Amino acid sequence: MGNHQKQRTQTATLNAHQQAIEAQIKTLLERYLEPRWAQDPRNRIAVSGSTNLTSDLTLDSFQVMEFMMQIEDELDVVIDINSLSDVHTVSELAAIVAQQAAA
Amino acid sequence: MTLLDKFERVAAIRATLNRSAHDPTQVVIEQILSATEGLVAGRRTILAGTNNYLGLTFDPACIAAGQNALMHQGTGTTGSRMANGSYAAHSALEQELAAFYEMPYGMVFSTGYAANLGTLAALLGPGDAVLLDADAHASLYDGCQMCGADIFRFKHNDVASLERRIKRLGERSRNCLIVTEGLYSVLGDCAPLRQIVEIKRQHGACLLVDEAHSLGVFGDQGRGVAEAQGVLDQVDFVVGTFSKSLGAMGGFCVSPHPELALFRYVSRPFIFTASSSPATIATTREALRQLRARPELRDDLWRNAGQLYSDLNTLGYQTGPEISPVVAVRIGTKDLALESWNRLLEAGIYVNLMMPPASPDSASYLRCSVSAAHTPQQVATIIEAFRQLRDSLPAQNLQADN
Repeated sequence: MGNHQKQRTQTATLNAHQQAIEAQIKTLLERYLEPRWAQDPRNRIAVSGSTNLTSDLTLDSFQVMEFMMQIEDELDVVIDINSLSDVHTVSELAAIVAQQAAA
Repeated sequence: MTLLDKFERVAAIRATLNRSAHDPTQVVIEQILSATEGLVAGRRTILAGTNNYLGLTFDPACIAAGQNALMHQGTGTTGSRMANGSYAAHSALEQELAAFYEMPYGMVFSTGYAANLGTLAALLGPGDAVLLDADAHASLYDGCQMCGADIFRFKHNDVASLERRIKRLGERSRNCLIVTEGLYSVLGDCAPLRQIVEIKRQHGACLLVDEAHSLGVFGDQGRGVAEAQGVLDQVDFVVGTFSKSLGAMGGFCVSPHPELALFRYVSRPFIFTASSSPATIATTREALRQLRARPELRDDLWRNAGQLYSDLNTLGYQTGPEISPVVAVRIGTKDLALESWNRLLEAGIYVNLMMPPASPDSASYLRCSVSAAHTPQQVATIIEAFRQLRDSLPAQNLQADN
């Protein structure tokens, strides 16, 4: 297998890994939000990769932090909070978690 | 004007605070009458939110020491110790603090904030890992963030949450600093330092404990929560402030590690700021002497704390999990908390209003801090004001889950 091809396989594996994590994050997010959605069904939305954690889901900074710690425990990873400064969407979060899980 | 546009958001938030009779961010104490009383909006007001735990701000010996230093050493040091040299009193205070903690090394900073920034920024570097209590003070967050270390948070005072994370760090746990507050400044609960010390030992990590609100409050000799739990000799770095129980201004770090003596060469918040004024150092030294010589101050403090804590609970308020001189009353919504805070002020009681994002969860709190100098009558007046407030609140607002 040539170097180029090997690299492509690795990228594909990483993408598959990231997609699996994104699916898990979506499930966890829906579980986290369920009590509040149940209270006020108007807030319920379909969570996708491009869903913005703060503006679409109206999570405040405390709730985002609380949710991050749940992800850490459920996926058995640690997330450096410095790495979260550019994270806005579910996909961006999945990319960071995939990176930290691979480290 | 794009640079300044971001302040529109701040102005909008401030406008919501301005709607009430008194704006909690703009309280002016027109006259300071004593360690526990001031004049606010022309009214004699009991100060129950100023962290003046030992009530030493008007102690005659502390004032005399400050006056003497002003007379003989002048008004200020006019620069940093690295550039201008150290006044003898600054070095003496470092030795006195080290001796107090029975640790060989001590270092003094110009504020408590700078002590946390300066200690963490010196200690940590890129590639190091920090396990930080998620609800830790902003100065601890800022210090960690200054130095490029990787920051991982564990749930507030949750040993299992800490242990899971340090295990996940694997080999990196040997380059890891655990950071926590002895007494949590918002809710008044204590860190489980005995268990944290055990985890630290098992994984070869280091431990920094911020005793800002526990110095002079906990422990047989008033050295803080680590002393009270019998693990002071296993803490790597104790940081704290002079601005609470010592009634002055400044901060410190003490440590058994000789490397602390080298921090002053690399700690930017130490190097690039003016050192404290001589009068500040003098009152701090005298207050530390008072703290050591008068353990009865702690008895008065705890008598008041126990009274306020138990009476507020009897009134049906939800407070923190344990008795301490920090008594935080949980109030459901921001609006109700702001209204309640205003009513207390109108009744002549000043407490702190904690609202998200400064509060530890999405709730708001009326945070009281008790002083040794509060008289039993003053404590009774505070409790009576809370009773009247309770009677004017809708009953469900005192429930745990609002």
